[in-house]
Order: sequence, then structure tokens, then C-alpha cells
Amino acid sequence: MTNRREAWLFLFPGLALLVLGFILPIMRMLVLSVMGPDGVTFEHFARFFQDGYYPSILWRTVRLSLVITALTAAIGFPLAYITSRVGPQARLWLIVMVILPLMTSVVVRTFGWMVLLGRSGPLATMLREMGLVGRSFSLMHTESAIILGMVQVLLPFMVLSLLGVLTRLDPRLEEAARTMGCSFLQTIRRVVLPLSMPGVVAGSLLVFTLSASSFITPSLLGGARIEVLAGSIYKSVTQTLDWNFAAAQSVILFFGLALVLIPYLRLGARHG
Amino acid sequence: MIITSRSLLGSVAIGLFTVPAMAQEITINSFGGAYEEAHRACVIDPFEAATGAKVNIVTAYSADAFAQIRAQKDAPQFDVIHFSGGQEIVGASEGLLQPIDPELVPNLADVYDFAKTGIANGEGPAYQIAAVGLVYAADKMPEAPTKWADLLNPEYSDRLVLTDISNGYGMIGMLMLNQISGGTLENIQPGLDAVAKLLEQGAIVVSKSPEIQQEFAQNDAWIAPYASDYAYTLQAAGLDVKFVQGEEGTPASFITANLVAGRDNVELASKFIDMELSPEAQACFSEALRYTPTNAKTVLADDVAASVVYGPDATAGLMRFDPVAIEANRSAWVEAWGKTIAR
Repeated sequence: MTNRREAWLFLFPGLALLVLGFILPIMRMLVLSVMGPDGVTFEHFARFFQDGYYPSILWRTVRLSLVITALTAAIGFPLAYITSRVGPQARLWLIVMVILPLMTSVVVRTFGWMVLLGRSGPLATMLREMGLVGRSFSLMHTESAIILGMVQVLLPFMVLSLLGVLTRLDPRLEEAARTMGCSFLQTIRRVVLPLSMPGVVAGSLLVFTLSASSFITPSLLGGARIEVLAGSIYKSVTQTLDWNFAAAQSVILFFGLALVLIPYLRLGARHG
Repeated sequence: MIITSRSLLGSVAIGLFTVPAMAQEITINSFGGAYEEAHRACVIDPFEAATGAKVNIVTAYSADAFAQIRAQKDAPQFDVIHFSGGQEIVGASEGLLQPIDPELVPNLADVYDFAKTGIANGEGPAYQIAAVGLVYAADKMPEAPTKWADLLNPEYSDRLVLTDISNGYGMIGMLMLNQISGGTLENIQPGLDAVAKLLEQGAIVVSKSPEIQQEFAQNDAWIAPYASDYAYTLQAAGLDVKFVQGEEGTPASFITANLVAGRDNVELASKFIDMELSPEAQACFSEALRYTPTNAKTVLADDVAASVVYGPDATAGLMRFDPVAIEANRSAWVEAWGKTIAR
């Protein structure tokens, strides 16, 4: 009895925050999304699908998030693996280097990319001087810019999720694999990677949801012409004051993400 | 007991001293940042010095300020409210504003007619005007632009910077492009088509004014439809940038000062507006931020006059897109614009 009460006591702050800060707003959002001038309506959803514009924004959001997730995993895994296998001193430094970017604001990091990718940034200047591109070449305001910026912003989340799993992996398993004739890469593919799946899943979940819901980096690097759904929602809320439509877009993003995440969660459950 | 009665006496005393002071106090809104600094230096400080009254400043942009006075209809908290998006038209029609009494605002007599057309309807006068025209890189353009149609010149397209219509000046610039392309406020399709064509030819769209600076400073931009005050910001940043009015007309954003209805400080508040309309305050504002003065008697130094729309001839070309129509269509236009510029 006491145990149960204590459990509730421990749960309470987190639960209260969740209800107040997430569940209630989500309910309100759901209600708003079907509210019209004369009662319940699905016109906001109909507007979303009336032509290809909004669905293309949704598709871009999902597509970019998938690419960003795959890239952070591909870059983050070797980094996390090496970090988990070097000596404590080097590991500390590597972890600090991974975490350090998190200590500056996303906006600052994104501005760095804006300088690097702009028309007169080092990259464009170099390519232009080599005669490979024209005068107005710029990586700014492209999907590649969004991907680059987001991968950098989100890499720490992936690396930290992977590190948690990789550091707990028994090194003797790898030694065994090597003695049984596996090459280094085979060991990684057959032993380390499958065993670190829970970390990959957790990291991917984090990165995917964060990139699908972020709008600062995409709007700064993608510009006005490459819209993502979170940016479109922000616009509806703050500029056109069209809250019902904003809510409808949010519901669509919410379910769009859920649709992608459910198979992932299953995968996580199987490996977890 | 002693403590209680003493503090009671104290609060009575404070009450006695503050009551008369309360009457000598007005509350206004300003727009923050450099604007608010200039507002303080040009109007608020001199006003406080001249009248001994205290001015409370609440930083609130037009839409927000309007939402506030609408919400406070029964117990208004502002005495003077400033708008840049035409909110005074709706405000006056909803009875939220108090008509200006010309007796209490003597400077009104010297204000250009176009800046006080709404007075009869209960709207406040415009004390400043942000003119939208062509901002161009004087050191780079082969020849100086003279008209809005120059924006459509294909040779300039990949050096042209357009601004998203989420920005007030961006909206005005788009409506002007629409007008010269044969559109009206009922039909902005010609404007959108023109924009689509420009983008195809290499023009870029930015969403915030600092990006315009970046385009001019780093990316070799030549021309942008934008406001004269921002051209000055670019000059101050060391760029050789000039502002010119397009021949077809100069659309403008009117910054108005309005009395809020239901307040008992009308006289003092009117005096505040009178000061905003004074030639001194307007010259000071133009000097600081390059807004167009509306008082015909305002005298500007030569270098200031060269970079703002100034004088009876130049101001005669000023026009204003109906703010009510803009508000009514904003949501639809933003969506149509988004579809037009989407890649």
C-alpha cells in the first residue's frame, strides 16, 4: 500500500507536467482542428488536401526527416563506436566534443552554416573559382542546406543514445567473433550492430521527431521557398492567425509521424 | 496596532501625493528597438520635459496593440495608440478611438491633407510615413532604376531580392508589382504571375529584412523593392545603397497616432500627438530613421532630405493600399503567395 502511494508520489510531478503541458494542449488542438464557424467541420483537413501544395510540404517534411535520421545514424554510429572503445581520457574529450555544440543555441549554429553555404561563402567561392558553377550558385535555400544543418544540430542526440548502449556491450563478444574468423567489418555488422539496435532505434526516434517538428533551422537554411510543415504551422499561428487550420496541420503532422513511428517502435520492442 | 495605524497613515499620505500625479500620466505604445529609442529622444523626453507629465511606454506592434485596445474596450489602459498597419480604420469604426479635436492639436493644420484624411471618420493623423520604393546598389547597377517596371527587367532578375509578404513592406511591394502588372486588390494573380516569372529568372525571396542586408553585402544583390528607412540602415552599414521612388507611384505604410476612447486625459494625450506632429519632432525622427515627415513645415538637413520622400511634390506621389482590404485577404494571399514561391 505504502509502496503504491510512494510510486504515485514519484510519478506525480512528471505525470502532472505531461497532462498540463502535453495531453491538454493536444486535446485542445484536436478540438480546434475540427471547429468551424458553425460547429464541427472537416473543412480544414479538406483544405490541406485540396491540391498538391500542403501534401507536398508534408511529404518533404517526412522525406527530409528520414534522410536526416539515416545520415545521423551513418555518421553517429562509427563515432559512437570509436568513442566507446578508446581509453577513458580520449573518450571524455570525444564526448565533450559531441556535447559542446549543444551548448550554443540552434540559431547560432545555423548562422554558421548560413555563412559557409552562402553565395560568397568559402564553399561557393571555391567551386566558382574552379569554374564548376555559375555566379549565383549558392547552397543556401536548398534542401541540402537543411539536411546539412539539421544533421549537425541533431548528431549529438544520436551519438549519446548509441553510446549508452555501446559502452555496456561486452568487448569479449567482439573478441570471440574475431577469434572465430570474422573480419573487423563482419564483427561490426554481425555482432555490434545487432546488439546496439536499441540505441539505434532510440536515437533515430529522437532525431526523426526532432527534425520533423523543427522549423528554425529549416526556415533559416531553406528560406521562404522551401517550406516544411512545422514552418507552415508556425505561419498559420503567428501570421494569418488561422488557428483552426494550424491545428489541422498539427494533427496531420502528429498522425503522419505516428504512422512512421509505429513500425519503428515495434522494431525497438523486438530488440529491447 | 501602532505599526498598522502608521502604515495606514503612510498609505493615505502616499495616496494623497500620488493622486494628482496620476492625472499627469499617459500610457502609449511604441514599436521597440531603434524605433522606440528615436520615439523617446524625439517626442517622449521633450514632452516629459515640457509638461512635467510621465509617459508610460508599452512595447506593442500594431496588431498586438490593436488586440489590446479591443480587449480593453470597457476599461481602456492606453491614452495614445500608434499603428502602422491601418488598424485605426477598423478601430475608429468600432468606436475604440476618440476623434481628434483640432483645437487641441494645433499642428494638425500644417499636416499634409493626405495624412489626415481619416480625421473626419475619427481616425488619428499619420505622423510618419514609411515609403516603399526601389532600394538599389548605386555602385553596381549599370544604370539607376527609375520605375517599378525596372524590377521586371530580366537582366536584373538574378540580382533581385523580393521580400516575403509576411513582412509588411514585402506585402506592399508585392501589391505594387501586382498593380503594375495589371492586377487589383480584388485580383492579385497578375502580381503572383510576375513574381513566379522573376523567380524563374533567378530572383530570390527573403523573409526578414536583415537578409536583405546580407544579400546586398555578401551576395552581390542589386535591387530590392523596400522601404526608405531600410535603405538608410544599409547605408549606415557602409553599403553604397540608394532609395528611389518608382515613377508609377510610391505605396506607403502610414504610421498613425490615435486617441483611445474612454480615457480622461484627452487634453494631455492630444498634446502628445501635437508634439509628434510638430516639425521639430518629425525632423528628429527623419534624421534618426529616415521616415517621411507629414508636417509640411518640417525642415530637413540636405543629406537627410536626399534619402527620404520629402516635400510637397514627392509626397504627392504617395499612395496607400486599402488596409481593410489587405486584412480581409491576408490569409488567402499568404497561402496563394506560398504556393507561388514554393519550389
